[in-house]
Amino acid sequence: MTRSDYYDEMRRLANEQRALFNLLSARVTLSDLRKIFKHHCISINLWPMPGISGGNMKKVKGAYMHVDGQPSVLISRRLPDEQRIFTMAHELKHHLVDYDEAARGISCQFEGATDVKEIGAEVFAAELIYPDITFVSDMDSRSIDKDACTDRDIVSLKRSTNTTLSFTALAKKATFLGYAPKGALAAVKWKKLEEEMFGEPLYKRINRYRQFPRN
Amino acid sequence: MSKTASPNVSEYLCEKIRELRLSFGGHGISQDELARHLDIQTNTVSRWETGAYKPKLKDLDKLAEFFAVSVSDFFPTKEDFTEPVNALLRAAKDLPDEDIEVLRQFAELKRAQLKLKKAK
Repeated sequence: MTRSDYYDEMRRLANEQRALFNLLSARVTLSDLRKIFKHHCISINLWPMPGISGGNMKKVKGAYMHVDGQPSVLISRRLPDEQRIFTMAHELKHHLVDYDEAARGISCQFEGATDVKEIGAEVFAAELIYPDITFVSDMDSRSIDKDACTDRDIVSLKRSTNTTLSFTALAKKATFLGYAPKGALAAVKWKKLEEEMFGEPLYKRINRYRQFPRN
Repeated sequence: MSKTASPNVSEYLCEKIRELRLSFGGHGISQDELARHLDIQTNTVSRWETGAYKPKLKDLDKLAEFFAVSVSDFFPTKEDFTEPVNALLRAAKDLPDEDIEVLRQFAELKRAQLKLKKAK
């Protein structure tokens, strides 16, 4: 099996989960993932948590482990919802794919196996939230040609589909599927651009009102 | 007390709490004093030691912190608790030691939680 085959298999598996849990749109929520985790008997734990001291979990967004047969994930509370959703989807892949391998002590057959597993988890997560086929269909319906997708298109797409896939992940998907040239969507200040296109978000207006109620 | 001796988690847990309390600081500490330090009722300590109540995980954590031991010390096992079993880290490369410690503690807590559940 080549890397490419492996990633295709991850996409297939993600779509299988989507079908199983009736995920029909590109908006996969925390509630959806909690249901999936419950079905797979995976306990969700948010860090910081009582009983664990020290550390700052700057590098670790989430971790999957099984202790005495009980699968558990530890997710950082600091993550915004979209990142938490992506991280949970990422850890779900480890449960579905790497659980048995880990238990049997079988290492991945590729060179740099850990990287393949981790990249595979990213592929799985992106597909679970927003399948490539739906993305392509959404791009086509907006008449966005190959190599022609701009940062503004990505912002509009995210707004109109209400997807929970982050701007960065959408940009990666667009690049991977050939809708944007390599590097064209890198280093974009997404939130700033969104604000420029659609105005100040409600939460910012509320915060401003709270600070200066009479303005 | 040998860590490998008893398969009975409940009995081991009771004895361990008592043993740690009686040997605390070389001269021991009363149930009353321990309860005050942990901010709980005196009779709760007594009930832990007699096995009438099982401490919750957060209580074990308080006890472990007070006696400067690991939560794993309250359970009979030969296994090495310090090993985060089959952890697949989200960002495994170049993890700072303190983050590895967080994951180790997490693995330890989960194992303790399972053992407590089985003991009930």
